[in-house]
Amino acid sequence: MTNPPGVISLRNVTKRYRDTTALDGVTLDIEGGKIYGLLGRNGAGKTTLMSLLSAQNFETSGDVRVFGEHPYENDGVLARVCFVRESQKYPDDFKAGHALKAASLFFPGWDAAFAAELVDELQLPLKRSIKKLSRGQLSAVGVIIGLASRAEITVFDEPYLGLDAVARQIFYDRLVSDYAEHPRTIILSSHLIDEVANLLEHVILLDAGHVIIDDDAEAIRDSAATVLGAADAVASFVEGRTVLHRETLGTLASVTIDGRLTEAERAGAAYQGLELLPVSLQQLVIRKTKKQEHTERASASPIRTGARQ
Amino acid sequence: MLDESRPIFLQIAGRIENDIVSGTLQEEGQVPSTNEFAAFFRINPATAAKGINRLVDEGLLYKRRGIGMFVATGAKARLLDRRREEFVQQYVQPLVHEAHKLGITSDQLIEIITGSTPQAASIERRVAQ
Amino acid sequence: MSRVVKVMQMQLINRWTFLGVPAVILVVTFLLSYAIWVIVPGDGRVYSGATQAVLWYFLVLGIQSMTMTFPFSQSMGVSRRTFYLGTLGLFAVVALAVSTIYYLLGLIERATDGWGQNAQMFALDWLVGSAGVVQVLFYFVAMVALFMIGFWFATVWKRWQTRGMLVAWIGLGVVALGLVALTTWQGRWPQVGTWFAVQTPLSVTAWTALFCAVLAAGSYLTLRRATP
Repeated sequence: MTNPPGVISLRNVTKRYRDTTALDGVTLDIEGGKIYGLLGRNGAGKTTLMSLLSAQNFETSGDVRVFGEHPYENDGVLARVCFVRESQKYPDDFKAGHALKAASLFFPGWDAAFAAELVDELQLPLKRSIKKLSRGQLSAVGVIIGLASRAEITVFDEPYLGLDAVARQIFYDRLVSDYAEHPRTIILSSHLIDEVANLLEHVILLDAGHVIIDDDAEAIRDSAATVLGAADAVASFVEGRTVLHRETLGTLASVTIDGRLTEAERAGAAYQGLELLPVSLQQLVIRKTKKQEHTERASASPIRTGARQ
Repeated sequence: MLDESRPIFLQIAGRIENDIVSGTLQEEGQVPSTNEFAAFFRINPATAAKGINRLVDEGLLYKRRGIGMFVATGAKARLLDRRREEFVQQYVQPLVHEAHKLGITSDQLIEIITGSTPQAASIERRVAQ
Repeated sequence: MSRVVKVMQMQLINRWTFLGVPAVILVVTFLLSYAIWVIVPGDGRVYSGATQAVLWYFLVLGIQSMTMTFPFSQSMGVSRRTFYLGTLGLFAVVALAVSTIYYLLGLIERATDGWGQNAQMFALDWLVGSAGVVQVLFYFVAMVALFMIGFWFATVWKRWQTRGMLVAWIGLGVVALGLVALTTWQGRWPQVGTWFAVQTPLSVTAWTALFCAVLAAGSYLTLRRATP
């Protein structure tokens, strides 16, 4: 068979649970060697997607390829993927140090010295039983395994739960510096988008089991803008554009529009006295994932209108 | 340190330019590495590299294999030239435009400028003498 | 193959679980039994069923090594097959060691006239007549059977949760009831009695081994689609 480009390839992947569809015909290529952000609301299908990559779960239909092969029962592929879940279960009889020792057995790239540094920085009590760790310390175990494993594909699923601001900063700092020295494919799933936005090179946004954004972080940055100014001027400027969000205050309007603005359009806005504000990744994600709901509601309304006529 | 107003790689490039203009980074002096920038600003190394490569492409920085990145000779002068050009566009033109709207004549504007900065005024006077 | 060995190492990271606890149970139950033999004077032969304690622990161990270690092994990039082979492989080694110890203790027991107390703990009357290999094998398959029962039930639980447990228990109940009804209806109870009477340690071992093989196959097939 022909190997698809990149380290991960999903073709029309659907995952159904008993009464929900977690992923709905997802097609995605991950080139690799970048830090990817996997974003989306709770229940958007992020964890399901990550589970499929390490065959911790199974697709209902479609095809999953990791390094060109299906990961299921494939030790060769699995040894190159590290995915510590947000709600990772550890053996009850383990101490924190045991979990790290186990990871050192299974990941060929494990860096024990790096792990020791992280243990020190994140103040993880190695001798303490896993059952007695706080939520933050449990997250620290996952973070240390993820970083020190240096797996070619490393997946972090909400790695910061229970970690305080200092510990999160240590994680981000270590992630960037270690990634710079040992480039690999990092997939970071997070709700704290503002915190991680600058770390990401590529963003994948999931909403209700669909990929709605799959683009370069830099490109996404100016793929939308907020127009601020007098209501009439704003209204005429945004006419014919996809509106993601609208707010008004008296005669003042602030409208977020989808799509890139040309230099000429920017100049035009300035000429009309309109202010153009950048839309942060966080705002964009909120607008885009909310918009889906509006579209669904909007698609339902014409029927009602029709019935009235 | 970084904001949302412009792409991050441009902000990185801008910071290095500023440091060259201000003399913080001397010509032929070494510039921090991509990874150092990435770690310092907590940004993706690829983004930092994009900002630095932009300056390399413009000939303001140059690479020495295995050693690092250095400020090119003449970089400061070139940046100053460019900034002077930009100064007209970014500051003078809007100023004149706004002055016109307010009904301020060019002479009045010059008077305001010379009057508002004592140093500038004294320089003017010395030049005139 | 090397990853199978690593699964064994992982199961041994906490040495207590597979090695320490069984050893402690064995020593403590023996000492307690011995104390009872000494304190409570008995006429003739005294018995202790304490050897069973370790076997029941192996049932629990079967459950634990599935429920606790399987989800973790998944995050370590271990395939289900490798996890299965490593875990069962390690248990087989432990069970073989314990079985051999039981056999050796049985020899000592007989040589010392029941630890000097005319006691019987390891050298079961029913078993001592058989060859040493058969004795060791008997203990071994009994231990593996208990471990596999625990492991398989835990796997069913992991894969289908409450629903799976219900179906498994009801299914087992229905099958058992069906067999009893069938035997009664056909009037075969005398034959069943005779069949049990003619079983030898070797044949019981063989039947148990067959039972183990069924459990092992069932566990593997269940595990193949289990999620952490």
